[in-house]
Amino acid sequence: MATDITVELDRVSKSFGDFTAVRELSLTVRAGRVFGLLGPNGAGKTTTIRMIVNITAPDTGTIKLFGGKINPEVQNRIGYLPEERGLYRRMKIADQLRFFAELKNVRGKDVDQKIDEWLARVKLPEWKYKRSMELSKGMQQKVQFITAVLHDPDLLILDEPFSGLDPINTEVLKEIVLDLKRAGKTIIFSTHQMEVAEKICDDICLLNRSEKVLDGSLREIKSSFGRNAIAVRATGGDGVLDDPALVSKLVRHADETQALLAPGADAQVLLKRLINSGATIEKFEMVEPSLNDIFITKVTEHA
Amino acid sequence: MTKFLAILKREYIQRVRAKMFVLSTILLPVVMSLFGIVPALVLSINAGGPMRIAVVDQTGKLYDRLAEAVSEERSEEKMERDRPGPQIGERTFKLEQAPSIGPDASAARSRLEQRIRAKELDGYLILPPDFLQTGKAEFFNNSPGDFLSGRPLESALNRAVREQRLIEARVDTGTRHAVFRPVDVQSLQVGAPGEKPGSDSSRFVLVFAVGFVMYLAILMYGQIILGAVIEEKETRIAEILFSSVKPFTLLMGKLVGVSLVALTQLAIWGTAFGAFALYGVNLLASRGVHTTMPAVPFAYYIYFGLFFLLGYFIYATIYALVGSMVTTPQEGGQLAMPIILILVVSFYLFLPVSRSPDSSFAFWVSMVPFSAPVAMPVRIVTQTPPLWQIALSLFIGFGAVVLIMWLASRIYRVGMLMYGKRASIPEAFRWARQA
Repeated sequence: MATDITVELDRVSKSFGDFTAVRELSLTVRAGRVFGLLGPNGAGKTTTIRMIVNITAPDTGTIKLFGGKINPEVQNRIGYLPEERGLYRRMKIADQLRFFAELKNVRGKDVDQKIDEWLARVKLPEWKYKRSMELSKGMQQKVQFITAVLHDPDLLILDEPFSGLDPINTEVLKEIVLDLKRAGKTIIFSTHQMEVAEKICDDICLLNRSEKVLDGSLREIKSSFGRNAIAVRATGGDGVLDDPALVSKLVRHADETQALLAPGADAQVLLKRLINSGATIEKFEMVEPSLNDIFITKVTEHA
Repeated sequence: MTKFLAILKREYIQRVRAKMFVLSTILLPVVMSLFGIVPALVLSINAGGPMRIAVVDQTGKLYDRLAEAVSEERSEEKMERDRPGPQIGERTFKLEQAPSIGPDASAARSRLEQRIRAKELDGYLILPPDFLQTGKAEFFNNSPGDFLSGRPLESALNRAVREQRLIEARVDTGTRHAVFRPVDVQSLQVGAPGEKPGSDSSRFVLVFAVGFVMYLAILMYGQIILGAVIEEKETRIAEILFSSVKPFTLLMGKLVGVSLVALTQLAIWGTAFGAFALYGVNLLASRGVHTTMPAVPFAYYIYFGLFFLLGYFIYATIYALVGSMVTTPQEGGQLAMPIILILVVSFYLFLPVSRSPDSSFAFWVSMVPFSAPVAMPVRIVTQTPPLWQIALSLFIGFGAVVLIMWLASRIYRVGMLMYGKRASIPEAFRWARQA
């Protein structure tokens, strides 16, 4: 159903001079879901987001928001927290928030009440009448987050929202994002931290070098990859794990080793080889691949 | 439109509330009046009293004339300036006749020089016997840097020599006085017989004042507009704003917001100045001195107002354009230097345009947006051009304001996406096309 789709990109490309930032990108963001736009630095995440919020226009391709083209009315339904963000240094927090709400055509008494609610929620109520230059960086980041959600947008776009935040504040914002999702909002968020994405995304799109590598529901992606990752705790048998015919990637942690099976390789074969090599095996468990593993596999496939 | 107003309101309120605004509103008139008064005071300090000069008159005819001329010269100047008391930098003279010296000039000289060293004299003037023919005299003094004193002496001497020459040519006293009677030129406008004499020059004063206030406003507020445009780039707010408003709306809101701050400040100063002037006029009137406002038709004030706004906005938008290209106010300050140059040059167009207000040169410079704000008001007060020309000039000017802002907003949008990079001029144009 068309109404289920909040954002739709159709073969969108964007170049800056000789550099192609996004190439032939198509993706759909379904309503009421958390959509992760993932990829390493410079993959084209921010450019894609900027095109969605109409800061730059694509060279080719089309973008649809809420089933139509972008217009000021649609723009007011979007909340955007860019990666490069700031506040007016000398303006009081309450004044700034009111100003940003006005730019989304939201004004009046409700706004003041909402400002109080949000400040309480991010645990900054006593900073309401302080100038932003008096706030710490983390506090400013939370205020910036409020600017993106204050006007109660249907679509919330967050570019690296948790970068630079301490674990406690990250948790606070993560909870808010999940609450908004429960309230039926659509959330697009970009990050290069796969572990964060893994915890809150329903759908993902992996970008690498300006191109889409993979997209779909996180669960489906994971199951389609099968349980091809193995957690091994063993003494000896190193030569077996290093065999590229069996293992495509090996990550040694302090107490165990993660091995990603090479395409077509069989876990049973690996286990037999390990036993035959005389290794003492304490643990041999097939686990779901982490998003990070999937990403690395995909990127190396394409390279 | 509501977003435009939101930006305008923020810009205005934040700035008017700032301590800087209050301070500068109070302090600038104080500083300005100090700048006006202090140099005049310093120059008028007459440290040495009258300048004592010994005159060695070897012609034997000139001393009395010179003494007379020195005193007349001063009283005439006083009449012209219509003010009592010594003028700025003017030094009075006290002449004495030195005993005429014979062939042994050097002995007499050394005597005079001795007196200078003894501080009894400040200088001495030697008029050689053939002075009336050659016109070559020598003035020795102990402070050759005092160029202000030499002038009046020279002109008094000139006068004395001319009178003496006339006497020797046997010109009678009446004719001689007639020759030296000063002239008085009154400048009147053609075809306006009812005008009061002097109104023409007072109009120029008015045009000049409007131009000057414009110049002042640009100098003060251009940099502020530059800063306002850069603010969101520096603080990284621009990207948040651009998901809500168009760059053009943002820049226009800023331009108009800051401009209203400027107009507020000018209005405060204007009111204060007006009240002060009114008080002064009343004070003078109570002492029997009557002053009149320049006799200028009311429509002129409207024209002046419009062209003031045009001039202000033209230059302010250029500052906005510069702001869109750079990343810090410091960079912008350098790039803005040529703007001041254009402004100064347009200001000087005042002269050629007032000389020939109906020339095609005057027509063109009053159409070009950068010079129109000065050139057109000058034409209006000299030979009011047809209404369509005034309207066209305003139309072109304000059209240019919108065009420049549009260009600036395109450059701004692309520039914002390339943090930390200053645009060269060709790049800026490429960005404008790209956006």
